[in-house]
Amino acid sequence: MNVGARVRNIDWESTTTGRARFVDDRTLPGTLQAGVLRSPHAHARIVSVDLTAARAVAGVAVCLTADDLPDTRYPHMGPRFADRSVLARDVVRFAGEPVVLVAAETGEQVHEALRRIEIRYKILRSATTMAEALAPRAPRIHHRELGRNIAARFRRTFGAMDTAGAEDLIRVAGRYRFGRQTHACMEPSATLARWHDRERRLELWTTTQSPYFVRDEVAHVLGLDLDQVVIRESAVGGGFGARSKVCEHEALAGALSMAAGRPVRLVLGRDEEFATTKCRHDFEIDLATTATPEGDLINHEAVMRVDNGAYNHSGPSVVDAAIADIASLYPSRGVTADAILVDTNKHPGGQFRGYGGLQATFALESQIDELATELAIDPLDLRLRNCHRSGDTTLAGWRLTTAQLAECLDAVRTRWGWDDKRRKGGTGRGVGLAVAVHQTGIRSYPDANRAEADVIVGADGGVTVRFGSADPGTGQRTVIAQFAADELGVPLDRVAVEMMDSERTPFDLGSWSSRGTFMAGHAVTEAAREAAARLRAAAAEKFGVAPEEIDLADGEAAHGADRVGIGELAALSGEIAARSNFVVGTDMVNRETGIANLSPSYSFAAQAVEVEVDRATGQVTVLDVFSAHDSGRVINPVNAESQVTGGVVMGLGAALGEELIYEHGRLVNASYLNYGLPRSPDAPEVEVVFVGEGDAMGPAGAKSLGEIPMMGIPAAVANAVEHAVGVRITELPVTPDKVLAALRARQGAAPRRHHVWRRPERWWVALVRTAYPLGLHWLLHRVGTRFSRRNPGAIRPPAMIEPATVEEAAGELARDPDAAVLGGGTDLLPARDQGVAGTSAFIDIRSLTGLGRVARSSDGGVSIGACATLSGLASAPAARAFPVLRQTIETIATAPIREMATVAGNLAQEKRCWFYRSGFDCYKRGGASCPCYAVEGDSRFYHAVVDAHRCQAVTPSDLATTLAALDSTIEIAGASGARRKVSIAGLYSGPGELALAPGELITGVEVPGASARRVSRFDKVQLWHGDFAVAAVCASLLFENGEPGGRVLNARVVLGSLAPVPWRAYGVEKALVGEVLTAERIERAAEAWTAEAHPLRRNAWKVDAGVGVVIRCLTSLAARNS
Amino acid sequence: MRETPDTPHPSASVTQKTAAAPPSDRPRASRPGRVRQVNGVTTRTDAEPGERLLDVLRERLATTGPKRGCGRGECGACTVLLAGEPVLSCLVPWSRATEVETIEGLVEESGKLRAAFADAGAFQCGFCTPGQLVRAVALLRRSDQLTDDEIRQAMGGNICRCTGYAGIVRAIRRVLDERAAR
Repeated sequence: MNVGARVRNIDWESTTTGRARFVDDRTLPGTLQAGVLRSPHAHARIVSVDLTAARAVAGVAVCLTADDLPDTRYPHMGPRFADRSVLARDVVRFAGEPVVLVAAETGEQVHEALRRIEIRYKILRSATTMAEALAPRAPRIHHRELGRNIAARFRRTFGAMDTAGAEDLIRVAGRYRFGRQTHACMEPSATLARWHDRERRLELWTTTQSPYFVRDEVAHVLGLDLDQVVIRESAVGGGFGARSKVCEHEALAGALSMAAGRPVRLVLGRDEEFATTKCRHDFEIDLATTATPEGDLINHEAVMRVDNGAYNHSGPSVVDAAIADIASLYPSRGVTADAILVDTNKHPGGQFRGYGGLQATFALESQIDELATELAIDPLDLRLRNCHRSGDTTLAGWRLTTAQLAECLDAVRTRWGWDDKRRKGGTGRGVGLAVAVHQTGIRSYPDANRAEADVIVGADGGVTVRFGSADPGTGQRTVIAQFAADELGVPLDRVAVEMMDSERTPFDLGSWSSRGTFMAGHAVTEAAREAAARLRAAAAEKFGVAPEEIDLADGEAAHGADRVGIGELAALSGEIAARSNFVVGTDMVNRETGIANLSPSYSFAAQAVEVEVDRATGQVTVLDVFSAHDSGRVINPVNAESQVTGGVVMGLGAALGEELIYEHGRLVNASYLNYGLPRSPDAPEVEVVFVGEGDAMGPAGAKSLGEIPMMGIPAAVANAVEHAVGVRITELPVTPDKVLAALRARQGAAPRRHHVWRRPERWWVALVRTAYPLGLHWLLHRVGTRFSRRNPGAIRPPAMIEPATVEEAAGELARDPDAAVLGGGTDLLPARDQGVAGTSAFIDIRSLTGLGRVARSSDGGVSIGACATLSGLASAPAARAFPVLRQTIETIATAPIREMATVAGNLAQEKRCWFYRSGFDCYKRGGASCPCYAVEGDSRFYHAVVDAHRCQAVTPSDLATTLAALDSTIEIAGASGARRKVSIAGLYSGPGELALAPGELITGVEVPGASARRVSRFDKVQLWHGDFAVAAVCASLLFENGEPGGRVLNARVVLGSLAPVPWRAYGVEKALVGEVLTAERIERAAEAWTAEAHPLRRNAWKVDAGVGVVIRCLTSLAARNS
Repeated sequence: MRETPDTPHPSASVTQKTAAAPPSDRPRASRPGRVRQVNGVTTRTDAEPGERLLDVLRERLATTGPKRGCGRGECGACTVLLAGEPVLSCLVPWSRATEVETIEGLVEESGKLRAAFADAGAFQCGFCTPGQLVRAVALLRRSDQLTDDEIRQAMGGNICRCTGYAGIVRAIRRVLDERAAR
């Protein structure tokens, strides 16, 4: 049997050999490249569009605006909520909204044309947060019947809120916020479109989870009939809900192909993927829960504000799902909910794994722990006391055919050892848990409870299954093959599965709402069963026996010793093909009452995490995760375990790091680099346990699994943090700034005072910062940026120059001020695209003799060539006298970057300020008339708290911090052959800015042997493994007797990422010299630099983090030999 | 309308470029005589030296195993071997290309690893998989003994959004263990 067995994905060979064809891997003859001009403004009226210059660019085939397209809206949730057109009409409502489409022969021509489009906007007042949108004089984003910027409102009561007769009720209340998370699918969204003019048909290869949804919506918005749009099969690189409805790029590419009469390929860039695809809705939930003193839950009251973004899409349905979840997780007596969906001028929210339920579960499961504390009941016991059981119907009308939540909780207790781990709490380590419920497919659209499948037995004995859904990594393709193989008695490798083709594969609405295994399992089983019946009938006739006497196994039909291959039977019968039409009798979603049994079955989970919280820096490390699931019978354990682990880690991302950050409605962190999703070293071990027995609704006893693995995780983490250090974080993600601030508040620590009034050199900066919110920022942003010297980044590849000597390289550099020295390329290449390294030519110095060296110098130090790689330096025997170099490098970026990046390139890399890097017209990019966006914007992690002036950025190089502490000198060569040496302090003129004359380049670094006598250590606070430092320190101390037990004779303490340049903390050094490193001495010394701090409004916590990281660094340095 | 684009047509997507050549007295890249091999095959293209290896592989040479996930060296999906060392091909100018190996050229060498990926649930959507495999092949060439932590660190530049990484680590572990047992 294949069902229930550990089978490989049936497409494993094409996936692992690179043969699988994703959308961008496909090309048709004559394909045009495409691009989208997007609004730079959050809210503006389009005054005029001039395409003359763009159309004149060689190779441009078509440019389209809204006027060239039918005046239609995406149907999404039905006409009542339909509010978005394919291209912006008259008004743009979010930064990133498509305005003009271009198709041209090459990508370069597309970019050139996009730059030549002339658009005049009249900027309108915008509301980019819910608070702004709900303010009395807020700008109106749409005309809504329910009130200004209220896209939808749900007021619901479930069960009875009357508490008469109940005595001494306990009530806990709180506000919980779940920010915007994005899917970050590995394959960028893409469509290859081909319009057939003669047949009037549009073919689409596209990244989707739901071909039939895409077909319907694209046909509608482009004014075509359904049979004029055909979706074709393609490998799809990830979905997680992002691609479960139409995603705009399909119609954009389709419209271009129709206009050009040629195939068109549109692939979103990674920044577009982050900034414009529909993300998770931001929920702010005020929740109150009432219970009896014994711990019986009585009721919940929820008030929700949900950030819709600029258009509806699935917003109303997501809110509805969140409410239903609160009314279904526990058997309380009553639930009230009042939820509004708020329009804002940001890119819209959409479907994302967990779909409202995730946000609701975070609130409710955080609160259940608070209640447990209030009642002095163990959190696991409290949940056990309030478990739904099989046969229950929830307040929202969900009929729980099976509910084995108690078994899940029992697994957490007995198999994970909850009680033991729980006892250890409060010591910086803690454990937390949360439970969750999820549907097995929701009937939220007509026909969402229906699926068809075709099963065809070929004359060669092979079986083909056609199913109209898509498998973007859910494993559905393999599940389909497993069911078909078992019904027909053929080996798994004889089953081919075709999907996604809206012409050839029959109807199914796609892989969303955790419906894939259920719908496909039933539909395919039905069709395969019918095909099997026909095979049996044919064999029975051949053998002269009754059909029920025929066995199907190993690709044959057998009766005793009589055997015939099923291929032969198929050939005899002409063809054996069967189509099923599976319908499950669930209720349609009830948008009036919210009460409906909208799914055939419901899955449960109990998830527990163990964390360690560093009190000094607020960093949370997840040590261990246990995830127990009642998902019925598991069809494919390999994929199921992978699905759970992946969901858990995605949940950890939401819990600890993932957050879209905006300024003026524009996304600030539109890159993997600045988006804290877990990398391999961040992900803990996850133990996965399935407790469920089969559910009678099937198929084969299976319930859903796709979404639930992430649902309990955010609350479990928050609960574990509370258990570890006693602070409750109610706003995700749980980043170090929030933890550290909460810890200090709990200790009753007074806010730091920086006494700027005593420091005349800071008065001017303080004055300017004070003026920013009073109108200066507005003035610089709205008026000053008009004078910006914009550099949108390079389009053409650079010329490559390969000098033979350093002198020649310097000469090239002197000759062309726009050329740049190429080392590892890890920063220069992206920086050139970002427009912060405007380089006509790259001078490739990597193969110059001697620049790759790492050699011992005569004084016992080390001499490092400019082009030594970071990993080369870390492992070089010649650098062994300085273990701190290796220790520093191991925290820099990720392994592939360390292997490519060079030492000089690391020192010379541009500042990483996310405003600067993501195209904001800031002071450094645009010039003196432009603002520094960090002053008012999100400066929590990557901006200075000491010494900053007009620009708040920091020098991102950790290596510079350490090299400074080691008294290193930098060797510089000039065009005339002159060589000079500078200290690290002399190297930098500003954040990530080098004090080099034209024609000068770094050729090497000398670390003096004297520094080897000191004991050195580097430490940093980072948001994920490989991130740039939030706060860093390198301490290098000379001890009496040479070992950390003795008095400190001499000290270098350099702070990184806290000031514009690596910053010598002389105060700390002074406080250490002459002292023995005791805990008390370390704590006092670590504070000694803070008198010089002058943080921004939002990054004051970094002063605490800086103190914390110095303490941590010195403490482990002191512990080395004591 | 039955023609399906399963085979890329490199000629169709070739970017027509006219080289902005440096002045003739300047030292040029791609001096004549430099041999470039992709998966063992000597390659000729009219790619400019400043184009990126990833673009040349995908758009001019129809080698689509390396994926463009970000184009900025942040995701690892474009990992290839350059002179035997793993690199992010979106950060390498074509002028530096010498001997290039992509997943297509490593199919045989990675046989056990690929099977281990399939058995361990080390991929779901499969988009990052070629990059993960190439990185892992390089790791297995370099080392016989690795702790799970070292594997996680070495693979830390290859993002996977689907699996939570556990399967990837287990698959590499299995190959190492099998090797040790021999």
